[in-house]
Amino acid sequence: MRIKLERRITLTRLDWFRLTVLSIIIAFIILSIIIAQAGKNPLAGFKEIFSYAFGTRYGLLLTFYRGILLIFTTLAFILPRRAGIWNIGAPGQLYFGALAMLGVALAFPNLPSIVLIPLMLIAAALAGGILGGIAGFLKGWWDVNEIVVTLMLNNIAYWLVMYFIMEGGPFADPFGTPDSATVPALAKAPLIFNVPFTIFLAIGLGIFLYFLLTKTKIGYKIRTLGQNPASARYAGMSALKLSLVVMIIGGAIAGLAGYHEFAGVPGVYKITRKFAERGDLAYYGIICGLIAAQSPLAAIPAALFISGMTVGGTALQRRLGLGYGLDLLFLGVLMLTIIAFEFFKRHKVLWIIKGD
Amino acid sequence: MWYFVVSCLDVTTLLLFASIGELLNQRSGVLNVGIEGLMLASVSLSFITTKLTGSFLLGFMVGMATGSVLGFLHGFLSITLKVDQVVSGLGIWIFALGFTTYIAAPYAGPLGMGTLGGRIFGISPFFFIGIAVVFVVWAILFKTNLGLKIRSVGEDPLVAEVSGIKVERLRYLCVIIGGLLGGLSGAYLALSYSTIWAFNPTMGRGWIALALVFLSMWKPWILLGGSLLFGTVWQLALSPELIPLLPTLPLYFYRMLPFAVTIVVMILISMERFRRKWGLAKPAALGLPYIKE
Repeated sequence: MRIKLERRITLTRLDWFRLTVLSIIIAFIILSIIIAQAGKNPLAGFKEIFSYAFGTRYGLLLTFYRGILLIFTTLAFILPRRAGIWNIGAPGQLYFGALAMLGVALAFPNLPSIVLIPLMLIAAALAGGILGGIAGFLKGWWDVNEIVVTLMLNNIAYWLVMYFIMEGGPFADPFGTPDSATVPALAKAPLIFNVPFTIFLAIGLGIFLYFLLTKTKIGYKIRTLGQNPASARYAGMSALKLSLVVMIIGGAIAGLAGYHEFAGVPGVYKITRKFAERGDLAYYGIICGLIAAQSPLAAIPAALFISGMTVGGTALQRRLGLGYGLDLLFLGVLMLTIIAFEFFKRHKVLWIIKGD
Repeated sequence: MWYFVVSCLDVTTLLLFASIGELLNQRSGVLNVGIEGLMLASVSLSFITTKLTGSFLLGFMVGMATGSVLGFLHGFLSITLKVDQVVSGLGIWIFALGFTTYIAAPYAGPLGMGTLGGRIFGISPFFFIGIAVVFVVWAILFKTNLGLKIRSVGEDPLVAEVSGIKVERLRYLCVIIGGLLGGLSGAYLALSYSTIWAFNPTMGRGWIALALVFLSMWKPWILLGGSLLFGTVWQLALSPELIPLLPTLPLYFYRMLPFAVTIVVMILISMERFRRKWGLAKPAALGLPYIKE
C-alpha cells in the first residue's frame, strides 16, 4: 500500500464541508488529550461544552451575544480578504466604533431611541470605517503592508480607549469606577427574545456582502483584484479605490461590533475596564473567516459555532475546574488544524492498495 | 539620564533578538508574522521553567527551544504543506495566545529570584550579545557561501534549486534559527528585562520587531539602528518624565507613540521616491510558497 498525492483543481462544496468537519474533529481529539492530561474525563468535557453553549437558556444567549460580535468581525475580515487584503485591525476598528457611539450617546442622552440608536450606529460605522480606510488608503496608495498598519492601529486604538475611560478621561465614570460612564437607558439596544436587535444587522450585512461580492460589478472587481492583481491592473481597475472600499466597509462593520458589544449585550452597557478581553475576541474572526472559506453567508454559522465553543469552553473550565484560558487554547489548536487542512483542500490523498 | 539610556538599550536588545531572527527568515523567503506569538510562548515557558527549577540557564534553553519548535511548525505548515505564509503565521500567533494564557495563568506574579547577571556600566550584557548576533548574521548572510545560498533561495528558489541548492532544507534551517532567536528574545524578556509575569507581556513588541525588518530593508546593520531608534521610542513612551522639556500629555498618548512612529516610518519606506533612492532589497520570493513542478 502506498500513498499518492494529487493536486485538486476544484474543491466541491461537499468536500470542503467534509474537510472542515474533519479538521474540527481533530482539534477536538487534541483537546481531549489536554483535558485527559489535566486528569479529567474528556467525554464529560465535550458534553459540558455543547450542553452549556447550545442546550441551556443562559448559555445559548451568551453564544448569541458573542456570536453576533464574531459575525461582525468575521465579515470585517472576509471582505478585504476577498480583495487580497489582510484586515487584522478588527479590534481597533471595534474600539473606535465603541468610542464614537458612546460619545454620541453621552452627548445626547435624552434623544428618543428611534433617533439616538441610528445616530450611534452611524457614528460607530463611521469611526470604524475611518480607521479601516486609513489602512486601505495606505495599502492602495503606497502599498504599505496592511498587516503591520492595522496591528499598529489596534494598539493605538487600545491606548486611546484607555485615555477616554480612565480616571480624568472624557468618558470616565463620574462615580469613579475604572469602567467608562454607563450608556444612557434610551441608547441601549432593544432586545428581541433577550437577543439584541444587532443580530439582524449582522445577518443582514452577511447577506448584503454576499450579493455585493457575487452579483455586482464592484464585487466582481474585488474578487478579480484578490485572485489576480495583475489582470485587475491590466483591466484598468483602480487598486486604490478597491482597497479603500473594502477596508472602509470592513472597518465600518467592525465598528458596528463596538456598538453591539458595549451598548447591545445585556449586562455590559459600558466600556468595561477589561475591554481588551472583549476586543481581542475580534481576532477570532480570522478563524471564522478561514472556516467559512471567505464566504459571507457561511460566516454566520461559523461565527455562531466558534462563539459556542468559547462559551462552552468557559463553562468547561468552571465546571470541571480546568485552567483558565482553555477555551482560547482550544481555538488556537483549531486554528492550526484548519490551517493544516488547507493542504488537503488543495491536494487529494489517494491510498493505492497493491494490485489495485 | 544615563538610566534612561540604559533602559532604552534594554528594549533595543529585546527588539533586536526578535527582529534579527525574522530578518534571517525573510532573507530565505519565509515571512513569519507569528513572531509575536513565538515570543509570547517562549516568555511564558522560560518564566515557568526558571520559576520551577530555579535555573536561569534552563529557562533560557527552554525559551529558545520553544521558539525553534514554533519556527519549525511554521516551516512545516508553510514549506511542506505550502499553506499561505501569512495564514500560517497568524495561526501560530493565535495558537500561542491561547497556549500562553492557559499554561501561564497559574504562575502570574514575580519570578522572585532577582534579575540575571551583572551589568557593564549599567548596560545589560545581553545588549552586547545582541550586537554580536547581528554581526554573525550579517557575516553569514553576506560573507559566506551559505549566506549566498540563503539569499538566492529568498530571491528565486527555482533558480537556486536548479543550481543544486536544497531549497526546502535551507528554508527550514532559517525558520528554525529565526524562531530560536525569537525565543531568545522571549526568554530575555521573561528572565532579565522584566521578571514579573503578567497577561500579554510582549505588549505588541513582536509586531514592532516584524515591522523593523521591513524598515531595515533587510539589512542587518540598519536593523540595529532601527532597534536603537524603536527601543528609545518605546522607553520614551513608558517614562516620558525622565526627559526634560517634553510636553505633559496624558501618559496614554505617549504609549501610542511607538505604534504611530512605526506607521509613519512604514509609509516613508514604502514611498516610490524612497525606494528608488535607496534600492529596495526585499527578497523577491518573500511570502511565496515554493512549489516544485
